[in-house]
Amino acid sequence: MKLEFPDYRNPRGIPQAPFIDSVDDLCKDIEDASELVSELQQLFQKYQLMQAATTQRSRGLESKIPDLRKSLESVEFLMQQKSQFKTRYELNDTVYATAVVDPVDTVWLWLGANVMLEYPISEAETLLKTKLEDATSGLEKCTEDLEFLRENITTVEVNTARVINWRVTKSKHGIK
Amino acid sequence: MDVQWEDQQKINEYSKLDNRLTDYELEIKSLNERKEDLDDLEMELELADEDDELMYKVGDCFVLLKQEEIMPRLESDKDKLSDQIASLETKQSDMSKRMEELKAYLYGKFGRDSINLERK
Repeated sequence: MKLEFPDYRNPRGIPQAPFIDSVDDLCKDIEDASELVSELQQLFQKYQLMQAATTQRSRGLESKIPDLRKSLESVEFLMQQKSQFKTRYELNDTVYATAVVDPVDTVWLWLGANVMLEYPISEAETLLKTKLEDATSGLEKCTEDLEFLRENITTVEVNTARVINWRVTKSKHGIK
Repeated sequence: MDVQWEDQQKINEYSKLDNRLTDYELEIKSLNERKEDLDDLEMELELADEDDELMYKVGDCFVLLKQEEIMPRLESDKDKLSDQIASLETKQSDMSKRMEELKAYLYGKFGRDSINLERK
């Protein structure tokens, strides 16, 4: 017994689940539908696994976006400052100190993996903007994927319920 | 009655839109709250002494700025927020329209006894 998958895949290559229009037609030649049920259950698990992975990725992006926004905001502020300004900055968690900042034309960006690099300020701005755009569009794609996965999970659930109902009705008739 | 594939797709779409709508409502609510905060801030700021330096939050740190320097920032923040809210509201009303169409179709097909599409 093999479920026939439709050709459609979403833009990230997630396959669309098959929908069983009529269990009668699909099962007319077989005695026992348990193989079909287990096939559907496996499919269900695959979708759930993808759902868990995508949810995690989407959470990661969700927490990254506000940080990127703040960095971009600060860099843009620095770009606008043509003269000295005073600031209360966070020296450490809950500890603030006052600093006088001269106008700057470079900033240091923490790139991750223990690397910090100096950038001309306009390049830093471009870099942060690109990163923010990437994160935002990545999050949109994640959301789309999650919606698609949910739809497919529903389809598989409907299929499974139908096959099980069909089996129950059939065995009742068998007893009669 | 067996549900056909086209109908199942419509049910799926409805459920997807319903979920999205809930997300949008939450987002609009939080943006509106933020906008109210900025409105309050603007009122307070007008009362402040012109020569006082106020601590304005940029990113994670506070910058000492005069009232006249803060005002334009505040205005531009508020404009950005209003744009965001407006664009979300447009999407929201488009989605509601589509949901009404789907609702009419699905109730017509299955009847109100077999399917429930009311929001909780």
